[in-house]
Amino acid sequence: MERFGNRSFKWLMILGPLLILGLVYLFLSSTTSTKKNWKVLIMDKNEIFDGKLTASRPQNLSFDFINAFVEYDDFAKDEKYKDYDLAVQINEKIVSNKHVIISYKEYPPENIQRHLVYYVERRLEEIMVEQFTDLSVSKFRDIKQSLQFNLKDANDPRNEKSTTASWVGFGFGILIILFVFMFGMTILRSVAREKSNRIVEVLLSSVKARQLLTGKVLGIGFSALIQFTAWVVIIGFGLYVFRLTLFPDMFSAGFVADEIAKEGAQNPLSNQSPFVELIYSQIHYTNMLIFFTLFFLGGYLFYGSFFAMIGASMGSESDGQQFVIPITLLLFLAVLSGYYTVYYPGTTLSEWIGFIPFTSPMVMMVELSNGFEDGSAWKLFLSLAILFISAFFMMRIAGRIYKNGILRFNHRLKLNMLLKWTKK
Amino acid sequence: MITVENVSKYFNRQTILHDVSFALNEGEILGLLGPNGAGKTTLMRIINQIISADKGHVTFDGNLIQEKHLLEIGYLPEERGLYQSMTVEKQIAYLGRLRGMSSVDVKHQLNYWLDKFDIQAWRKLRIEELSKGMAQKIQFICTVLHAPKVLILDEPFSGFDPLNIELIRQELLEFKKKGHSIIISTHNMNSVEEICDRAVLINKGQKLLEGSIQEIREQNKEGLYKISFTGNMIAFANALWAGYEIIDKEVHSDDTFTVYLKMRKGNEINDLLNAVIDQVKITGIETVLPSMEKVFVKTINAQKEISSE
Repeated sequence: MERFGNRSFKWLMILGPLLILGLVYLFLSSTTSTKKNWKVLIMDKNEIFDGKLTASRPQNLSFDFINAFVEYDDFAKDEKYKDYDLAVQINEKIVSNKHVIISYKEYPPENIQRHLVYYVERRLEEIMVEQFTDLSVSKFRDIKQSLQFNLKDANDPRNEKSTTASWVGFGFGILIILFVFMFGMTILRSVAREKSNRIVEVLLSSVKARQLLTGKVLGIGFSALIQFTAWVVIIGFGLYVFRLTLFPDMFSAGFVADEIAKEGAQNPLSNQSPFVELIYSQIHYTNMLIFFTLFFLGGYLFYGSFFAMIGASMGSESDGQQFVIPITLLLFLAVLSGYYTVYYPGTTLSEWIGFIPFTSPMVMMVELSNGFEDGSAWKLFLSLAILFISAFFMMRIAGRIYKNGILRFNHRLKLNMLLKWTKK
Repeated sequence: MITVENVSKYFNRQTILHDVSFALNEGEILGLLGPNGAGKTTLMRIINQIISADKGHVTFDGNLIQEKHLLEIGYLPEERGLYQSMTVEKQIAYLGRLRGMSSVDVKHQLNYWLDKFDIQAWRKLRIEELSKGMAQKIQFICTVLHAPKVLILDEPFSGFDPLNIELIRQELLEFKKKGHSIIISTHNMNSVEEICDRAVLINKGQKLLEGSIQEIREQNKEGLYKISFTGNMIAFANALWAGYEIIDKEVHSDDTFTVYLKMRKGNEINDLLNAVIDQVKITGIETVLPSMEKVFVKTINAQKEISSE
């Protein structure tokens, strides 16, 4: 009952779901974006569709027909097709193999995909009924086989830039978020413990509040780095041992030759064991580890200052626990952003969230694993700079809140109180 | 040693301290007195630079107090705090190092104090394994370990049994003898009378009294005298007649008494003696000074009356 009367409990009861709804809205709106008109080129070499797709003009889609097949590369780069976002291949086998390829320059959002699939399916049904059966369209719809749609990037039709590499970055990003959460909580617990057992007053009679907080954050950060280094060393050593002892065949020249002979020369080894290829060849460990460390430090300092603020300003333990939830949600948002970037790289949203310090450590690790195009590495450094500047700024604010809040006990934490504490 | 000059502090438009000034001299023990919520802790935090004053300043040896001076102050806050899972030895060493001591000095001083309090056996115990009184002792050692020039102690005797109170009291007197200065905030007025040289009384953030313990008691005396005699009580009372008012009496035996009385009509000790000397055998006479507790209560109540008017 005591918790129900708690002001922060009531606030969180309303703000928590709203925040989650906001996150869901953000995610859905990013995947169902209707902001632009998607121009579709229907490549109907045999004129199966007869220049028609739908009687009505859909809201976000416009279609043009061409009775030729345009190569992916031409579609992606030729000036003639620069206005088109999507291309649908209707080849002569569609009636038998039910296979449609949609190539895209920018990955289409879910609603655009659904609409396009719907129109193509409906049109094909009409044609099938007209040419091959005596059934009505609705009867035919009941017995027909569905079409299979295959989306291909016009710039990368063979899917050479697979999402596997992105998942490696995502993995590194998850590690950052995990470490930030673990060690952020350590900051919070440490500050809260010193506050609740009152030793902080003794400490503050020897060192300044800001020094104490900085020392604590740096000390815990250092221990996090030590732990991370231990992880790297142990995992690195483990992978090396695997390669030498447990799976030596996989890397011997004989094994490689055998595999190529078995599958034919056109299949490179990487197709045999993409995971092995990924672990031992694809990941650029030096780069990843350097930027992992930098983004971890930035993210840790940035988020750590929030954890320190909560620890220093909480009046009671339950207060503190409730204020951890919004931070956890922000970390969850960061994970979600990384997930989004894996699937929708290069979109405006993924560009933006790469610069926002709440999400940049996660997003940039995914971007980094995908690799930056020539001349766009500045994004990485700009993102780092924004992260560190924000972390510095937040640490200053955290220092003020720490100084003002650390010797306050058993109070009700109010937002205006926090704001006041940030001013002096 | 330390001077507090016109210090004021406000929280949320409330005045916590208003224009408070006093000085702590070298080699003296100063009692900082006041009821709960008077502003004592805030004042001690300001001296320790834990919070800053909104007006006024604090000096240390004539200079504005700075961070470096904190190493020469030992502060024992009222709310005691130690790391519960740390051992006694590590706890003391950590706080000693934090106050700028070398590890050699820490080791030496640690042994000195553990020997002095005869608690070497506690060395490896964790704080959570100690009783409240034992932990208080460790807290005291942490405060004095770096032999600071100034000790600021908030309720240093709370949580101790009478034996340990005496032990701590002796240690404080020892410190004073060596020239260290001490500020003690306490509600234990007996301790104030026994060990403090001077006292400052504050209430509602304002200084109400300052002076030596003797001076303060003299200033607040109520014309009360204590006279001891052998003889007849009735004869003694009759002899006083209307010029004196008997406040209290102690009966030691059938003919031995101590009487507390106040003079009336401008009478003085000589008049009193003249009045009773033929009736009883006087064995002692002295002016009765009010206890610090009485001074404390009287002064606070007087301020209450003034503010209610």
